[in-house]
Amino acid sequence: MIEAKQASLEYLDHGKVVYACRDVDLQVRDGEFLGILGPSGSGKSSLLYLLSGLKVPTSGEIIVDGKNLASMSDEDRSRIRLQRFGFVFQQPFLLGYLTALENVLLASPKDASRSNALELLAKLGVAEKSHRLPHELSGGERQRVCVARALLGNPTAVFADEPTAALDHRNGLQVVNLLSENRGTGSLVMVTHDPSMLERADRIVHLDDGRLAE
Amino acid sequence: MHVHPVEAAKKAVLRPLAASTYLRRNAGKTVPLTAVIMLAVLLISGIVSLINSIPYSIRTIYQYTQQTLAITPRGDAEQTPKLVADVKANAPVPIERIMLARAAGTQVVSIVGKWPFAVLALKQPDMQFWLDRQGVKSLDGRLPKAGEPEALISEPVARNLNLKLGSNLLSPNDNESFSPFPVKVVGIAKTPMWLMLTNYEYVKANHFPDVDVMLAFAHTLKDQDTLDRWASKHFKGERAQIFAYHQLEQQTDDMFNILYKILNVVIATLVFVITLMMGMLINIYLSQRLVEFGLLQALGYTKRQLLYRVLKETVSVVLIGWIFGVLLAYGLLRVTKAWLMDPRAFALDPLDPTAFLYTIPIPVAILAVASLTLIGRFQRFDPVGIVERRLV
Repeated sequence: MIEAKQASLEYLDHGKVVYACRDVDLQVRDGEFLGILGPSGSGKSSLLYLLSGLKVPTSGEIIVDGKNLASMSDEDRSRIRLQRFGFVFQQPFLLGYLTALENVLLASPKDASRSNALELLAKLGVAEKSHRLPHELSGGERQRVCVARALLGNPTAVFADEPTAALDHRNGLQVVNLLSENRGTGSLVMVTHDPSMLERADRIVHLDDGRLAE
Repeated sequence: MHVHPVEAAKKAVLRPLAASTYLRRNAGKTVPLTAVIMLAVLLISGIVSLINSIPYSIRTIYQYTQQTLAITPRGDAEQTPKLVADVKANAPVPIERIMLARAAGTQVVSIVGKWPFAVLALKQPDMQFWLDRQGVKSLDGRLPKAGEPEALISEPVARNLNLKLGSNLLSPNDNESFSPFPVKVVGIAKTPMWLMLTNYEYVKANHFPDVDVMLAFAHTLKDQDTLDRWASKHFKGERAQIFAYHQLEQQTDDMFNILYKILNVVIATLVFVITLMMGMLINIYLSQRLVEFGLLQALGYTKRQLLYRVLKETVSVVLIGWIFGVLLAYGLLRVTKAWLMDPRAFALDPLDPTAFLYTIPIPVAILAVASLTLIGRFQRFDPVGIVERRLV
């Protein structure tokens, strides 16, 4: 379980303190699909980065299996991200000089992961493109490769930051469904401003101006 | 035969984070970097080898003087017997042989112009001893006869001056290699030493000055050096001029000292410029890879892992460039030696260790600059900015 306790993230903007997140209390239960909904600039992505250890709260705690991410070293947080979390970002970030399969293997670059990676690409319908370079794939195919990368190694949580932003609605829904169907026993935390993308979510929380709305 | 795409992917897959994967898949960037280092190594080792070939040539051409101490009485013929007696009485090492000699002058061709060379004139009983001391095992033709205008030369001299048996080594028509009669080559010694030998009687009868030179031989090279150094001190201020190999070495070192200082400045400048250029290129390539580093860090790779990986790539490029540069330089210097230098008997060492030592600052400086650049950039790096596309 991942838990935010009174987590805040503030930064200085031209000398003025701005809160990206403010006193957030939130639990991500094991295996659940949690949707975080909110308008642009409401702090959704910041909350996702806090929960996933990409950012450290300026106050409060982020607890992962009883340990506070904020008190860990950068290296330990990185290790948790690599070994236990998966990520899908707004843009389908792939390394241009690696094939689709090699990009998936970035999440777990062991020879033993190769068959799992191929299996995932097959499930996501891009097995035939596994040997292609990213520039030879369409936007939807690229994002599917990113989904495969996020799912490789059966992570305990997959964090998706507006994964449909660069896709049309149909492709977007497909990506969300693929994430939801293939995540196994892991949790899925997805940030979006589009409620239609969260039809399969077990729970949806709303964020407004950095605070969880009632 | 049909190959399943998944099977094909299995075969084609590379380790995604291996330095070799990046280098292979980005040959358009890594090959030019490697080529720049190769050319820099080639340039520096080539310059140093060619400059070193000058003192190397001097030492090679006059190496025969290592076997003997020569003392002239500065034009006073009556001094020579006194010098002989002095050496016999006071030499710090046993003397194997002392002989009287004369010399005629000629020139050999070097990569930087003509250099003077002595045609040593010996009496018949001394000729074979001298040739033995120079390590001559065999010769084409024969030794010069007493009183006849004849000479023996060695193979490098024959190549350098394009002489054969029957050619004239000295001639009345040649101002630089003058003799009143044409002095014909009657023998060519098979040795890498540079040697010119004629007979004492002919030079005494036809060449100025009418003064004997004393040659003193110790039993071993070590003793010879001791004798030479002793003579340099012992006869200082006397009417005696010493010709010894250690003096030649000293004069060569002194002569090239300033040249080497200039060379150091030139090479330091070259290394600086190349390092600056490489540092800028590496920085540009790093900037182009910010998304990659941001993504990998977001996925969970630590800065240390990323730094280690990029340093491995850099070390690979620099080492490959340096090694291939050294090999290329060696190959081209071999070709230069075979096609340009050897036919003229010019000296060039394609394996000159100094030349390759001078290239070491290139990889060291590039690695240092690349490491500092990488460390600096990684310290200020924010992966969230990258995945949010704020920093690209």
